[in-house]
Amino acid sequence: MDRIELLSPAGDLERLKVTLLYGADAVYIGGEKYGLRANATNFSLDEIREGCSFAHKLNKKVYLTLNIVFHNEDTVGVLDYIKDVVDCGIDAFIVSDPFIISYIKENYPNVEVHLSTQNSTTNYKCVEYFKDEGIDRVVLARELSKDEIKEIIDKTHVDIEVFIHGAMCTCVSGRCALSNYVTGRDANRGGCAQVCRFSFGNGDKKDFTMATKDNNLAEYIGDLIAIGVKSLKVEGRMRSLYYLATVIGTYREIIDAYYDKKLNKDLMEVFKERLDRVANRETSTQFFLKKADYTDQYYTGRSEVSNQDYLGQVISYDKKNKLLKFYERNYFEVGDLVEIFTPNNDRCTFIVDELYDEDMNKVDVARHPDNIYYLKVDLDFIILEYSMLKIIERKDKKENI
Amino acid sequence: MELIVETSCKDKLYLDIVDGIILPLKDYAVESIVSFSLDEIKEISRNNNIKVYVKINKNLLNEDIDKVRDILVELDKLNISGIFFYDLAILQLKKELNLSVDLIWNQTHMVNNYKTCDYYFSRGVKYALLGKEITLEEIKEIIDKSKIDVMVEVVSKPSVAFSMRKLITNYNKDLGVDNNSDLIINEKITDTNYVVKEDSNGTSFYLDIITNGTGIISELYKGGCKYIIFREYGLEDIFNELLVDTEKYIKGNCSDKNYINKYKKLGDSTNFFFKETIYRVKKNG
Repeated sequence: MDRIELLSPAGDLERLKVTLLYGADAVYIGGEKYGLRANATNFSLDEIREGCSFAHKLNKKVYLTLNIVFHNEDTVGVLDYIKDVVDCGIDAFIVSDPFIISYIKENYPNVEVHLSTQNSTTNYKCVEYFKDEGIDRVVLARELSKDEIKEIIDKTHVDIEVFIHGAMCTCVSGRCALSNYVTGRDANRGGCAQVCRFSFGNGDKKDFTMATKDNNLAEYIGDLIAIGVKSLKVEGRMRSLYYLATVIGTYREIIDAYYDKKLNKDLMEVFKERLDRVANRETSTQFFLKKADYTDQYYTGRSEVSNQDYLGQVISYDKKNKLLKFYERNYFEVGDLVEIFTPNNDRCTFIVDELYDEDMNKVDVARHPDNIYYLKVDLDFIILEYSMLKIIERKDKKENI
Repeated sequence: MELIVETSCKDKLYLDIVDGIILPLKDYAVESIVSFSLDEIKEISRNNNIKVYVKINKNLLNEDIDKVRDILVELDKLNISGIFFYDLAILQLKKELNLSVDLIWNQTHMVNNYKTCDYYFSRGVKYALLGKEITLEEIKEIIDKSKIDVMVEVVSKPSVAFSMRKLITNYNKDLGVDNNSDLIINEKITDTNYVVKEDSNGTSFYLDIITNGTGIISELYKGGCKYIIFREYGLEDIFNELLVDTEKYIKGNCSDKNYINKYKKLGDSTNFFFKETIYRVKKNG
């Protein structure tokens, strides 16, 4: 039985590699043109080629977002760009504009076209329309319930992709021009300024806010598989390496545990805790179980918290001397409880006992981001590239207990 | 050039002044101030010698499809000049049911280029109501290069966003109040007001400033634009007079300078007609 696809965002080549190594089956990326994250670090053609090559060697896939709402000037050159990207080996385009859909299907029948959530598809009849147009997959609007998704799958038999994790728009995708009006930045051409996270005055009353909590369907992966969803999409092309490694790695484990019939309540609690810890906002199931309501929003303006769990990216491990070499990312010190985790999902939790700087001077704290440090640890598994180090519990917190 | 209006009051339809009216269909239209039941639409279309357009522009849910199918069949029997649609389920249903009623592509912020207009034309869509976030030059280029008949919203408080969430109800619940009355909210940096309205379909946002496109009607006329749209919301006190004057202006080949001067009083906001939106604020890499 084919397992459901886990689809990850990747903002650059390094994120693409990390997320595939941590268990994504496919990644979606933005090119330097025509994507809805115009201000992100996007992929050049050479990087797309390298990313596709890397993915294909792992028998995985790369999709390119081509999902802006086109203005006249954007239509000039896009057909050449599509050819260039096809030549790089792309597996699918994620598109919202139907003139692009029909062009790709007519000219590159071996390349898939996925209908972007920007098209806010909310019913089976709309999916049927695009099925007739030759679409290979539809990314549904984020405003649908489990029952509505199931009905669409049952009635259309079109491959359906569903957002399972990450930030949500307050308004319907494609139906929001708040950014255009408030900031002059075009929301539907990649310039969205996230105005829905602003606070607005309301006379002498409390400010009007409408920011949403993030989406998190971790507990419902089994339901999504059972109703026939083909692909589970994680949001966040601008997210960090650590975030992607944690979120994608965790969803990989959830999916595999479900298929292997090992997913139980206790294990789910571990996964939920891991996802909660890397989140920078509160989460909810949004529209999946009920119409989104009062509980799915914030009423205090922007509500992000920075996460400093990520301690470092592992460079190498000297098994003979039991020395782990890493780039430091966030402060930690001797006595802290930390964890190493790898793309193979090997994990080791231990208290930091011996810590050294780059010149092998013994130190008590690692306090300089991007500097190289060593720590002594006895590991019985292989340390792969992109293994990471994270905090479990700070020493001072333990001492206070 | 024909003048089409969308009223903000069910009692005033301006039937003897304008060329066409837009009737938002109750329960299936969003970003509209008033709506009309199917029976009301039937009555208006049967009893008046005017072009009647129906607006069905919500994102349809599965549960809506059967009802909308029946409604389309009923509308097809009437003398309806067109249906404004957002959801492509409408286009699919027109195809499946072999309906003769014309369609107007009305995907609010997405109707922005001539190639996609031509795509929809090739799929049997007769008209496109252009997005309000494109420039006059872009509009003229679409009119020039596309086969589709273009409609341009010239005077209105523009619709800015739509959410399927009950944002006013939720906000008031946080305040301990059970209320979903309209709000006027203020964006603090630009000191600009937006009107927020909630109904059973969700929450709509409007810029609380009239877009005054009376000054571009002449250019649209010369460019071959066949349809312009005025929306009454926010202009209730002068709408009748504005429509009478606009019809005269159009029939006089848009040459009356007094019209332009008179309606400077609507304000100097021309929205995006002369202002491009930006989307890349820093160089890649």
